[in-house]
Amino acid sequence: MRLRSLFLMAVLGATAFAQARANETLTVYTHPSFAAEWGPGPAVKAAFEQQCDCTLQYVVLDSGGDILQRLRLEGASSQADVVLGLDTATMETARQTGLLAPHQVSLAALELPVAWRDELFVPYDWGYFAFVYDTEQLPNPPTSLDELIGAPDDLKIIIQDPRTSTPGLGLLLWMRSVYGDQAGEKWQALKSKILTTTKSWSDGYFSLFMNGEAPMILSYSTSPAYHMAIDKTDRYQAAAFEEGHYLQVEVAALVASSRHKALARRFLAFMLTPEFQREIPLKNVMYPAIDLGDELPDVFDRLIQPSQTLYLDPATVAEHRKAWLEEWLEAMSR
Amino acid sequence: MLDVRDLTFHYPGGARWQFQFTLAPGECLAVAGPSGSGKSTLMNLLAGFLTPDAGSIQWRGRELVGTPPWARPMTSVFQEHNLFEHLDVTTNLGLGMDPGLRLTARQRQRIADGLKALGLEGFGQRMPGDLSGGQRQRVAVLRALLRDQPILLLDEPLTGLDPEARALLRDLLLAQKAEGRLLVLASHDAEDRDVLADRLLPV
Amino acid sequence: MPQAPFRHPAWLIGPGLAAAGILLVMTVAGLAALFWQAPLPALAELWQQPYLRRVLTFTLWQATLSTLLSLAVGLAVAMALARRAVFPGRGLLLRLMELSLVLPTIVAVSGLIGVFGRQGWLTRLADGWLPGWNLYGLGGILLAHVFFNAPLAGRLLLQALESVPAPRRRIASQLGLRGRWLWLALDWPAIRRVLPGITALVFTLCFTSFAIIMTLGGGPASTTLEVAIYQSLRFEFDFGRAALLAVVQLALCGLLWLLLVRRAPTRGLAPDRRLPEPIRRPDQGGLRALRDRALLLVFSLFLVMPLAAVLIRGLPGLTGMFLQGGAPLATLWHATLRSFAIALPAGLMSVLAALCLLALGNRGGRYLAPLSPLTTAIPLMVPPIVLGTGLFLLLRPSLGDAAQGMALVALINGLMALPFVAQLLRGPLNSLDAASLRQADQLGLLGWYRWRWLYWPKLKQPLALALAYGIALSLGDFGVIALFGAPQEPTLPVLLFQQLGSYRTEQASGTALWLGLMLLLVFLSLGRLGQPKAGRPATTLSTTRVHHA
Repeated sequence: MRLRSLFLMAVLGATAFAQARANETLTVYTHPSFAAEWGPGPAVKAAFEQQCDCTLQYVVLDSGGDILQRLRLEGASSQADVVLGLDTATMETARQTGLLAPHQVSLAALELPVAWRDELFVPYDWGYFAFVYDTEQLPNPPTSLDELIGAPDDLKIIIQDPRTSTPGLGLLLWMRSVYGDQAGEKWQALKSKILTTTKSWSDGYFSLFMNGEAPMILSYSTSPAYHMAIDKTDRYQAAAFEEGHYLQVEVAALVASSRHKALARRFLAFMLTPEFQREIPLKNVMYPAIDLGDELPDVFDRLIQPSQTLYLDPATVAEHRKAWLEEWLEAMSR
Repeated sequence: MLDVRDLTFHYPGGARWQFQFTLAPGECLAVAGPSGSGKSTLMNLLAGFLTPDAGSIQWRGRELVGTPPWARPMTSVFQEHNLFEHLDVTTNLGLGMDPGLRLTARQRQRIADGLKALGLEGFGQRMPGDLSGGQRQRVAVLRALLRDQPILLLDEPLTGLDPEARALLRDLLLAQKAEGRLLVLASHDAEDRDVLADRLLPV
Repeated sequence: MPQAPFRHPAWLIGPGLAAAGILLVMTVAGLAALFWQAPLPALAELWQQPYLRRVLTFTLWQATLSTLLSLAVGLAVAMALARRAVFPGRGLLLRLMELSLVLPTIVAVSGLIGVFGRQGWLTRLADGWLPGWNLYGLGGILLAHVFFNAPLAGRLLLQALESVPAPRRRIASQLGLRGRWLWLALDWPAIRRVLPGITALVFTLCFTSFAIIMTLGGGPASTTLEVAIYQSLRFEFDFGRAALLAVVQLALCGLLWLLLVRRAPTRGLAPDRRLPEPIRRPDQGGLRALRDRALLLVFSLFLVMPLAAVLIRGLPGLTGMFLQGGAPLATLWHATLRSFAIALPAGLMSVLAALCLLALGNRGGRYLAPLSPLTTAIPLMVPPIVLGTGLFLLLRPSLGDAAQGMALVALINGLMALPFVAQLLRGPLNSLDAASLRQADQLGLLGWYRWRWLYWPKLKQPLALALAYGIALSLGDFGVIALFGAPQEPTLPVLLFQQLGSYRTEQASGTALWLGLMLLLVFLSLGRLGQPKAGRPATTLSTTRVHHA
């Protein structure tokens, strides 16, 4: 019920803040975790404006999915110059809209676990999906997906729904890349361990995990960095799984209808500089997309280092997503 | 002159009535009959709360059928439920004179005088619920009189009252006749009818 | 006789007709825009999908169960409250009942989990007594729906029970009616008038429930139609399917409203009368009293415990924010002000619109009157995500500026509150009895005067409560202003969600608590405003003997 007005406003209201200034204004569609006062957004804005003689303006939409949705709805009349906050799960759909233009930015500085040669999307951070656990409740977490699936039923985990949440979809792809066509059966085996499947990451993390309802939740391998650096507690850690972890890359792209393409490309290039990237680790709680050297906070050294990076080509994901979702639904509803 | 002709009415699937009478200023017509005989139906037809199937009600040559209740030259007093329970006595009375309650000093004086005459001095701020049945009915009759309408429709106005209130109100109604008002009285009570009525309309 | 302002009958129909028109046009246009964008999927084919059939079956099943349970609990509580008109803390209990509905789902759910979850207080307390108790599944869904809706139902039913005219209550008391007879003479006639509307309201709320179902449902086996709509629109970009599912939802709920609400009797019972001393209900004493006390105690605990969990969890964060001050506190203050700047006009608007629509329902005649129950319910039945997308497609070339945006937010929040506000006002508005109406007609109390002297005095308290609901629903509504572009300008719920999305659990708990306090404040202040003065007004002559005929 409360969600209802949210989207309405999201779609109706965005252009409201498009104020013209004397100098050029760059409009970036993004989501709240980037633009919030404690996110990287404000510092990035200050840093970029100092060197561009322009105004950087964020239009904040609820999530990556909303950014894409808005872009599709607005089509060629969009106010956006740059969209920032899409990820590997949504980028293929975004590509198919034909509303994005090549970035022409040098990707040489990129430091990702996979080779990246996309001409539309520029990565700005990345992370692994992982199960975060409460060390006080669960001193010895499973060390592999297999072990998790085979664990006794009194081990309970919280996951998110792949139909409505990014990590939820991440786990779906994770299972798929480890088990292939056996994924359905494995889901059925995992089912008895799943306490509940929440709509969003926030629902699960706040209402359930931090309330101690289950000792493990599907999250990011970087989540403990926040708890260690900001909350000053080592209590929450990510479990390293032998099969490897599925990768999420967050990306930005240039909108084809932009009237400030040169400035937009400058911003995309700026994204891959330390001025932008140093805000990422603790404010977005993800790995920076370039090598920050000593500037990477120490807590990041204490995060798990997956033995293998699992990653499916976005085009493949887009092609099969519907079938895989149905497989999951079938397995979980039985 | 009030001239009621062939005034017919029926409830869906129920009884059917026809009324006919004339009434001159200063006269009182008593409508007599057992319960359910149509006394109240006639009262409601006259006041405009019910719409007749046919017939006419003429007042000084003007047709009243089709005129809404608030535009008819009459005022009703029922056995019960004559007052707005959530408004105090003065407001109830004042609304009888002006629905916007913008009362002139003279109108306020009339209310005070009326209350005094009926032995209700100082009751202006009371709520109807705080009054006895006799007191409530006195207020109801007072409001009817303050409205200065030529026709009074009295539906069992004295039924159930204590003898004191009864006598007081009877006298008041007789005084209205003397002033040239027309009274239509529905009453079970033979004594009331004998004292007040000039003619009888059996229904 | 001076002419009453607004006395023309058109004033009773026109504004309502305009409001209904706006709502209908928005709905139809929103849906049509989606259909126009995408090819229409075949309805038969949609129905063939086992997934969808399962979803629909589950939706209906859980909504029916939730509604029955909520009504049963709500009725029991309302009866107990009616029987115990005076006890310490009664007012506070009423405020809590009002509060539970308007809390943001995520806050209430986190409170419920703190009590009934695997690690919840109660679960730990009852350790071993309740084998097999598991919050996650149908049980949890029902529990949460009862937590949200039973207090709403109870509050509305109590309002109806208290509207029984005093003379009638006194007669029942004098006759010493008990049990079934008391129920038939007193309670049932009052409840009968509001029950259909409450049933439809609660059913629709449960039918369209979303986050609760997903969080507490345990898995995708518990999925409502609303989830399927969201999925189609947001993840599959299948506009046609989303719109079609929305139409299915609209049709099912709309049918229920038409069936139920049209049959509700709408006239008042008899003139009410203020009596000098409270009337004792014949069933007030003895064993029944004990049972009532126990029931109210349990119910209060059921409401208080999750809220206490929210309080305890949020206290460190909130005191932290107040003690440290600085930016987080400033953000909180600004968010609070911004929330109220939207919620107050939204609340006022919903009350106004509800009055207009209800007047239309009473005076619209055979053809226009049914528009009233239908349009007051529409905001609940059409997922705004659908409506919003459709409207966006229509308005795309010309969207307004910031001020218009703000007004639009208030407008839409106001519309969202309409079903609740209308339900609160419908009973009292229709409670004028025939005798009062007859008097009013004869005295020429028309138009504005009728409102001023008849409706306003009787509606003051329901209006205050309805306004509180309107404001609170808008205040607790997740999400509006941050989406207008400036993350520096969130409302309270948006701030809460932003903090949640960035690991700021402690601050988020504090913000949630603060939001809860603000909601309570709204109900407390407006609840006081609408309070009728107890007993009777001071009399001028205490010497007069007061007796009753």
